[in-house]
Amino acid sequence: MAIIERPSTTQEVVAPATPSSSLGALKRPVATTGWKSWLFTVDHKKLGIMYSAAALFFFIVGGLEAVLIRLQLAAPNGKVLNADLYNQMFTMHATTMVFLFVMPMAAGLANYFIPLQIGARDVAFPRINAFSFWAFLFGGLFLNMSWFLGGAADGGWFMYAPNSGPIYSPSHGIDFWILGLQITGIASLAGAVNLITTVLNMRAPGMKLMRMPIFTWMQLVVQFLLLFAVPVITVALFLLSFQRNFDATFFDVAAGADPLLWQHLFWIFGHPEVYILILPSFGVISEVIPVFSRKPLFGYPFVVFSGAAIGFVGWGVWAHHMFASGLGPVSVAVFSIATMAIAVPTGVKVVNWTMTLWGGKLEFTAAMKFAVGLIVLFTIGGLSGVTHSVAPSDTQQTDTYYIVAHFHYVLFGGAIFGLFSGFYYWWPKVFGKMLNEKLGSWNFWMMVIGMNMTFGPMHILGLQGQPRRMYQWTEARAGEGFFNLGFWNAFASVGSLVLTTGVLLFLINIVITARNGKVAPLDPWNARSLEWMTTNPPKEHNFDSIPTVSHLDEFFHRKYQEDANGQMVQVKTAEQVMKELEDNADAHIHMPSPSYWPIVLAAGLPVITFGLIYSIPIGIVGGIIVLFGAYGWSIEPGTAPDDDFDPPTTTKDVVHVG
Amino acid sequence: MRRRIIGALAGVTTTLFLAGCATNAPQDTWQPKGPNAQKIDNLQKPVFAVAGIIGVIVTVAIIVAVIKFRDKGQPIPHQSHGNPALEITLTIIPALILTVVGVFTFRTVFDLAKTSDTEMIINVTGQQWWWEYDYPVQNEFGITQPIITSGQLVIPAGTKVLLRQTSRDVIHSYWIPALNGKRDAVPGRVHLNRIEADKPGIYAGQCTEFCGLSHANMRMEAVALSKEDFAKWVANQLKPYTPPAENTLAKEGETVFMNQCIRCHQVNGMKRADGTPVIAAPDENVVSGAAPNLSHLMTRNTFAGATFDLLNKSCREDVWNADSESFGAKYLTGVTEDCLNQSDLRGWLRNAPAMKPMYANPALLASTGGKYRGMPNLGLTESDIEKLVAYLLTLK
Repeated sequence: MAIIERPSTTQEVVAPATPSSSLGALKRPVATTGWKSWLFTVDHKKLGIMYSAAALFFFIVGGLEAVLIRLQLAAPNGKVLNADLYNQMFTMHATTMVFLFVMPMAAGLANYFIPLQIGARDVAFPRINAFSFWAFLFGGLFLNMSWFLGGAADGGWFMYAPNSGPIYSPSHGIDFWILGLQITGIASLAGAVNLITTVLNMRAPGMKLMRMPIFTWMQLVVQFLLLFAVPVITVALFLLSFQRNFDATFFDVAAGADPLLWQHLFWIFGHPEVYILILPSFGVISEVIPVFSRKPLFGYPFVVFSGAAIGFVGWGVWAHHMFASGLGPVSVAVFSIATMAIAVPTGVKVVNWTMTLWGGKLEFTAAMKFAVGLIVLFTIGGLSGVTHSVAPSDTQQTDTYYIVAHFHYVLFGGAIFGLFSGFYYWWPKVFGKMLNEKLGSWNFWMMVIGMNMTFGPMHILGLQGQPRRMYQWTEARAGEGFFNLGFWNAFASVGSLVLTTGVLLFLINIVITARNGKVAPLDPWNARSLEWMTTNPPKEHNFDSIPTVSHLDEFFHRKYQEDANGQMVQVKTAEQVMKELEDNADAHIHMPSPSYWPIVLAAGLPVITFGLIYSIPIGIVGGIIVLFGAYGWSIEPGTAPDDDFDPPTTTKDVVHVG
Repeated sequence: MRRRIIGALAGVTTTLFLAGCATNAPQDTWQPKGPNAQKIDNLQKPVFAVAGIIGVIVTVAIIVAVIKFRDKGQPIPHQSHGNPALEITLTIIPALILTVVGVFTFRTVFDLAKTSDTEMIINVTGQQWWWEYDYPVQNEFGITQPIITSGQLVIPAGTKVLLRQTSRDVIHSYWIPALNGKRDAVPGRVHLNRIEADKPGIYAGQCTEFCGLSHANMRMEAVALSKEDFAKWVANQLKPYTPPAENTLAKEGETVFMNQCIRCHQVNGMKRADGTPVIAAPDENVVSGAAPNLSHLMTRNTFAGATFDLLNKSCREDVWNADSESFGAKYLTGVTEDCLNQSDLRGWLRNAPAMKPMYANPALLASTGGKYRGMPNLGLTESDIEKLVAYLLTLK
């Protein structure tokens, strides 16, 4: 497993089993196939797939929660859910979609594609990568376990104090929420450090930062945002945890606390979080649009720097979530202006995507449809965002359905459409089969129509005064006329079913493709970046030889060159480019070895948090598991000893990873 | 030509949008009925227009690109990496638009924060799941003793009223869209919120900060009366307590009230047979430490956090639909026996938590030291309810 000698594509390489005489508390796992190979893998590609699969599962969970919410609100005085269950439902819907779907899905794509896009063979710390995945999965499952143990969190995903305190929310739901998010926070932080290190240190020769694919760039910005944002929410969650479980008084007004402390902490995390959710999708479509327009991304440096600018300015706008909180006019005015300022770099991106389309040779594959859909839908969400950057207007709109409309256009029309674009674009790369394009088109149109039917009317609902987070609405406040609020509530609920159908079509597409999907050719999209300069799916070691990069869009420039008349003409096929890499294959490729320790260490975390809620001794057991995991991990070499491996005569031929 | 098409598209979109709206939605944010809400409206309408136009331009540009540059077998385009001049122009234009918007926003923010010309003060306190209104002594309005009410905020029209908001438990948010934007009521802090109604009338609102189980059932109504009518309202609120006549059903109801309701609900001036004043102790029984003061209950049109009407449907509509001339007189009539919403009031007395969810799980009362959040089921008999209704009708 660990060492692959003389790789070639013509002949399947059988990796020699890892020697059993390994250092450490447990022998190394050696399975290369079957479930064990997944459980103990440190391969960024397998982890990427597992990240995405788990995220997809949580997407379905969060989606069902959303459908229940819409069913409850389809008619006045809804009876589908009671008040308590409804409050849990909207809290968990948001929490699930933000922390357990969009973030890990983006992390899955980052895991899989960053090493491929920068011409690396894995991430910088493969075992930490495995640990991140397992911590995310266990944290997410732990969080959702609350449904079966006395009810889920019911304070809203923003969990404002003091309503989140033990008196106002006596069930364990919020405890599960806090501790589950702490665990997934550990996953995010470890992942961020890992990916930043990977991007900064492991790029292929010649790949300067400004030759880096834009998806990797956006993910790099996201990882920095995570690195600085997650600690803030971690602190806030600690405070709340101590308040709930150990009688601390951080948010207890009677003890002199100011509940606005929580709001500031939450939103200093929460606003960068918005960009954590959206930037990966911006990255995806900035890859997809150039590929299917057959021209480079318009204004690549502008897109890079506007992404970075969003990353910076994103830290200075958190209080726009608090325009009604009573901050005083000076703060409100300043944050209002700062919020308008962030619209500028965001607008730059929209301009660049549109200009990339302009003058192109557009091919409307499903991936491209989702990407173009994103531009339009995100623009609508962005513009409604500008309307409530105007603080006085926001005091009318905040906490109404107008805001719900706004962020669903941004996050569904933006983040999720971007992810779907990525699914269709990269599916052949990951699984070697083409998703059905026809079904993909249906998938797209159902989702566009469904999403506009669901969230479009919410603009009207909100502007006409329907607040959010109400388990029932009443006819007394619904107004008159055919298009009263009752009509639009029912309409939105029907829309949510159309949207659900759209998502179902995607799941059906997965099944159909897995059963008898078309085998993907080497370069199905005529793509531009390095991840396509390898087989579908890529070999375990990604590249037979690490390419030397001399262009942005390296792969495209190896295939196409300008002729004497300035016309782009194909000079090589993808197969020829691949052949060159194979011919220069590295003699020895040294890959990181699988390990038991990441999953062991991660498994201890939910045991600790269980203990914090129910009984400290259980927590101590969890602590021992974590310590055992850390011990085993620390004495295990990152790579298996090279017993069966002749030491190279020169270091030139050997690539060490991890 | 292109400009005209864009203009037409913007017009059509706006018309469609407006035609798709409800009429007379009580909480419509685009129907200001006072100067504060009007200032917001003056700012937001142009912003919406600009945003709409930009949205149309971007959408049209994308549609044009999608149609025009579709792959029709054209050669692979020149690999142009951009056009910095165009890029910078298209960065500066939105920045300039936003600068203009920013200037007006800045002005409006400070304009709305102005409180120096306030004419009247009302203390507004939120708790799960109702609002209390406390009018401090203001002799110029005839308020010679503090008035405490709930459910409906009664204000004089054309008067600059400053709400001093706070909360007794969690964060709530006060919002009467026709009069002003939202302002949170935060425990431990006093937030200022200025409202003013141009004309007499009734303006709906809703708590907009998620405040727990019955957040959806925490409503409010602001009632603006002409200055003369407001003076009458004040005079009535200050009227001393008149106990029901002996040997009436209402008198028996008073006894039930003293045995049951008084644990939380105050009726000012109520005395026991021995002449000692009856003082409610909500602080011992309710988490927030307060329950609605029921003095002059029947001058209000709603109860239980303005969730239920005290007026039956036809009487309620009569008040809500009254024009600003006749509104005051109709409102001041209060709730007569003929107009009483019997079913909701009796249902409430029978089993309040069944009508409005109030504590997530009674088994978890231990975590609040046995205190309730909201009104519990008191297990009253039907005859007690009969008596209580008769008594409550005397609280005018």
